[in-house]
Amino acid sequence: MKTRLVSTLILAGCLSACAQFQNAPLVEPEALVAVEPALEVTVHSGDFAEIQQFVTPGGASVWLVSEPSIPILSVEMAWKGGEAADPDGLEGLAEAVVYHMNEGAGDLDSLAYQTRMEELNMSFGCSSSNNWTTCSASMLTENAGEAMDLVASSFSAPRFDEGPFERFRREQEVGLETREASASYLAWRAKSQALYPDHPYAREKSAESIAALTPELAREHLRKLMVKDRLLVTAVGAVTPEELAPMIDKVIADLPDSSDLPETPEIAFPALDAPATIVVDLPQPQTLVQFTGPGLKREDPDFFPAYVLNYTYGGGGFDSRLMQTLRVQQGLTYGVYTSVNPGEYYSTWGGAGQTKNESAGAFIEGVKIEMQDFVDNGMTEEELADAKAYLTGSYPLGFDSNAKIASQMMGVRQDEMGIDYFDRRNSLVNAVTLDDINRIAKEYLDPSKSLFIAVGMPEGIETAEDAAAEDTAAE
Amino acid sequence: MRRTLTGGLAALALLALPAFADTAAEPGEAWTPTTFNLDNGMQVVVIPDHRAPVVTHMVWYKVGAVDEAPGKSGIAHLFEHVMFQETDDLAPGDFDKIVSRNGGQSNAFTSWDYTAYYERVAKDQLGVMMGLEAERMTDLVINDDPEGPFISERDVVKEERRQRIDNNPGVILREQVLSKLWAGHPYEITVIGKMEEVAALTPEDGLAFYHEYYSPENAILVVAGDVTEDEVRALAEEHYGPKQPTGTAHGERKWQSVPLLAETETLTYSDPKVRQPQWSRYYSGVSQIRSPREALALDVGLEVLGGGMTSRLYQSLVEGQQLAIDVGSYAWTDLHDEGPAVITASPVPGVSMDDLETAVMAEVEKVLEEGFTESEVIRARNSLAASAIYARDSQTTLANVFGSTLAIGGTIGDVLAYPDEMKSITPEEAIAAVRTVFGADRHYIEAHLLPAAEEDASE
Repeated sequence: MKTRLVSTLILAGCLSACAQFQNAPLVEPEALVAVEPALEVTVHSGDFAEIQQFVTPGGASVWLVSEPSIPILSVEMAWKGGEAADPDGLEGLAEAVVYHMNEGAGDLDSLAYQTRMEELNMSFGCSSSNNWTTCSASMLTENAGEAMDLVASSFSAPRFDEGPFERFRREQEVGLETREASASYLAWRAKSQALYPDHPYAREKSAESIAALTPELAREHLRKLMVKDRLLVTAVGAVTPEELAPMIDKVIADLPDSSDLPETPEIAFPALDAPATIVVDLPQPQTLVQFTGPGLKREDPDFFPAYVLNYTYGGGGFDSRLMQTLRVQQGLTYGVYTSVNPGEYYSTWGGAGQTKNESAGAFIEGVKIEMQDFVDNGMTEEELADAKAYLTGSYPLGFDSNAKIASQMMGVRQDEMGIDYFDRRNSLVNAVTLDDINRIAKEYLDPSKSLFIAVGMPEGIETAEDAAAEDTAAE
Repeated sequence: MRRTLTGGLAALALLALPAFADTAAEPGEAWTPTTFNLDNGMQVVVIPDHRAPVVTHMVWYKVGAVDEAPGKSGIAHLFEHVMFQETDDLAPGDFDKIVSRNGGQSNAFTSWDYTAYYERVAKDQLGVMMGLEAERMTDLVINDDPEGPFISERDVVKEERRQRIDNNPGVILREQVLSKLWAGHPYEITVIGKMEEVAALTPEDGLAFYHEYYSPENAILVVAGDVTEDEVRALAEEHYGPKQPTGTAHGERKWQSVPLLAETETLTYSDPKVRQPQWSRYYSGVSQIRSPREALALDVGLEVLGGGMTSRLYQSLVEGQQLAIDVGSYAWTDLHDEGPAVITASPVPGVSMDDLETAVMAEVEKVLEEGFTESEVIRARNSLAASAIYARDSQTTLANVFGSTLAIGGTIGDVLAYPDEMKSITPEEAIAAVRTVFGADRHYIEAHLLPAAEEDASE
C-alpha cells in the first residue's frame, strides 16, 4: 500500500481512451489564491486489481479501478438501508423511490430523460433489497461528463411525476396477481411465514400498501435512503480519480448528510425438529423443492470451512454430491444447488432443485440422505483437496471484466471485508481443515434442522396433515 | 446452467445480442481478432484481451437441431450432454473432474444452428483444456448399457424440458406458435425436442449423429483472453493438429429458406398459472445471413416502433392511452434462416384482448403510414451500434459473437463491420423494412395467452 497525491500519477496507464481528458488542467497554478486541495489517493496494488481509494472533496468514499483498454465507465453507488425500512403499511415505498430515479429530473420528464439516456448511449437505474439501496450507471467515456450530469440531476431534482407514479402502481397491481403463480415467490412466502413471520423481512406489498404510496412520500423517503454518510461508491473504467471525483460530487451535492432509519432486528434461526415438509399447491408438471437450514455470518470463524464444505455438498455443480446423486446417478433433476447465505441480520444455508411431481418425494429423500451422510461420515481428504483446487484456481475468473470487478469491490465494501480481501481470500480457503469441515457438517447439515418446502403438485411427500392423520389413526 | 441450449424456446439471450464490434475498430487494434486454419481444416480465431490472466476456450461445431433426422428431435442437444461422459482415455465423470481440478468452468449449449462447448480457465491451463476437447472430438465412447449414462442423461433432458418449457404456459404457447410459423422447416421443432421423441432416442442414435457431424473440419476453435495468436497456434497445432478428418462426417446443413406464412390464424392457450394475459402477433421476418441489410433495417425499425420506453408503441399504449401494462416489438434476425417479427402487448387489468389488439394495431398502422423521424432512427441505430462497445467488457460475449457468426456462415469482417453498417441504415430503409414485414398482404399467427376460465381455476 502506498499513498500518493494527484499530480504524481495522473493519467498513468491511461491510453488513448482517456485522451479527451488530458488537456484539462490537473492542478490549479500555485499563484492562485484558492488552491483546490489535492485529492489524496491510496493505491492498493492487489493480486487481482489495483484499487485506488479516495474521499472526494464532497465527502464520498470511492474505490476505483482505472481500466483504460475499453472506452467505458461503470459506477455503482450503494447505501445501507433498504426495503426493511419501509414504514408499516407503506410496503413498497423503497421500490417506489428507486423506480423513479430514471423517470425524470429537473426540466426533463420521463420521456425526455429516457431519450437523453439513449442519446448518450448510457444506462442508469436503481434497485432495492432488504438492506441496501443501490444505483448503477454505465456510460461511454467520450461523454461521461454529460452522462454523470444527467445522473446527478436525478439526485438533485427528482420529479416523481404523477404519470410514472400511476404506471408504477399499475405495474405493482399486476405484480400482486402474477406472484401468486410464481413457484419461487410461493416458496419464499411459505418459508418466511414459517421461520420469521413477525420480522420486517416477512412483510409483503399489498393492494392497500401500494394504494397508500404517494409521490410526496417517495420524495421524502429518497432523502432518508440516500444520504452522504452511508454512501459507498465503486467504479471501474477509463477514468482517473481526479476525473471521477467531481462527477461523484455533483451527484451527492444535494443529499442530506445523514438520516435515521429503523434498526433491523436480528433473526435467530429457529430450532427445528424434523418439521413436516410444507406443500404449496401450484398446477405445473414439476415441483420446486427448497430446503433451508441455519447459516453463519460472514465474520464467523467457521464461515470458510462452511463455504468449502458447501462446494462438495451442493455448490460445486458436477463436483457436488447432491448433483452426482440426484442428477448423474438418478436422473431426477436438471440441476440442484446449495449456497451459504451469510447476512448481517439473518443467515441461512440451503438449496433448491426441480423435479417432476411424481419424484418429489424421492428428491427430498435423496437430499436428506446426502445431508445425513455428511453428518455421519463427513467429507474425505480427496474431496477437500478437490474443493480447494477449484475454489482457489477459479478465483481469477471473477475478475476478467469491468462489470465483475465493480461488483466484487462493492461486495467487499458492503460486507466490510477490507481492501486486501481479494489477496487474502485464497489463503483463507487453503487454511480450512477436514476437522473443521466435519465438525461443521454435524452442526449445520442435520436434515432434521432444515425446513423443506415443495411447490407444485408433489407426490410421495408426508405433509403435516398426513402426519396428523396418522397420529389420529394410531390413537 | 451447464449443458444448456439456446435459441427459440430456450434462452434467447445469446441470439438477442446483436453481433458487434467497436465503432472505432481498426484492423490491428489491440482487441481485433485474427484467424487461421489448421491443416486438418479446423478454423481458429484468437481474440486478445489482456486485462486478466484468464482465457475462454470454445469449440463450435457446425451442427444443430436443424440437422436432426425425422423422428429424432432432440438428438443434437442430448448428444451434447453425452459429450461430457466417456472417451477412450476418460472414464465417466473425468472430464468435469479434470476441468474443476484445474480451476476451470465448463459448459455447452445447443441451438438450431450450432453446438458449442467451452471452458473458462486461468491462461496457463489452456493446453489442458485443448487436450480434453480434442479427445472428445473424435474419441467419444457411447455406452449402450440400459442403466448407463446415455439413459440417465435422457431422463435429465426430460426434466430440463419440463423446467424450461412445460412449467411455463407462455413458453408452451410460443412452442405451438413457432411450430406453425416454421411448419415444414426444421426449426418447427424446438431445440430440446419433442418429449416422446427424446424418450425414444438410443445410444445408437447418438453414435450415428457423432459420426455424421463431429470432425475437425466441421469445428471452429475460438480462444478469447490473455493470449497471443502465436501461443494459440502452437497449442492448437499440438492438440488439435494431429486430429485427422474422420472420413465419416460431412458438412452439409439442412438449412432452407422459410416460406412466407400462407394463412392467418389465432392460437389460444389458457392455464391456471396465467395471471396476466398476453397478446402477440408473429409475422414472417428476415435473417441477417440471407438478407443482411434488410435485417439491420428491421432491427432499427422495430427498435423505434416498440424497442423500449421511448418507442412509439410504449408511448401510445402504456403512457398515453394506458391500455397496456407493457408492449413491444422485436425480430429474431440472428438465426441462419428467417425467424419471426413479433408485436406483443399485455393489457391493463379490465382491458379486453380485442380492445388491446385494436389499439395496438391502430398505432402500428399509424406509424407505418407516417414513417419515422430522422432523430428517432439515429437514436435507435446508435444504441444498437454502441452495444458493440459494451460487449467488449466480456471476453465470453466476444467469443460467443464471433463463434456464432462464423458457425452460421458469416465472417469476422461481418462482425467488425456491424456498427458502421448499423449506423448507415437510413430512416427510409428502416420504415421500408417494417412496412414489408407487417404489410397488409402478409399473414401472421396471433397468440392469446389467457388465465384459466373461472370454472377451471381450481384444477
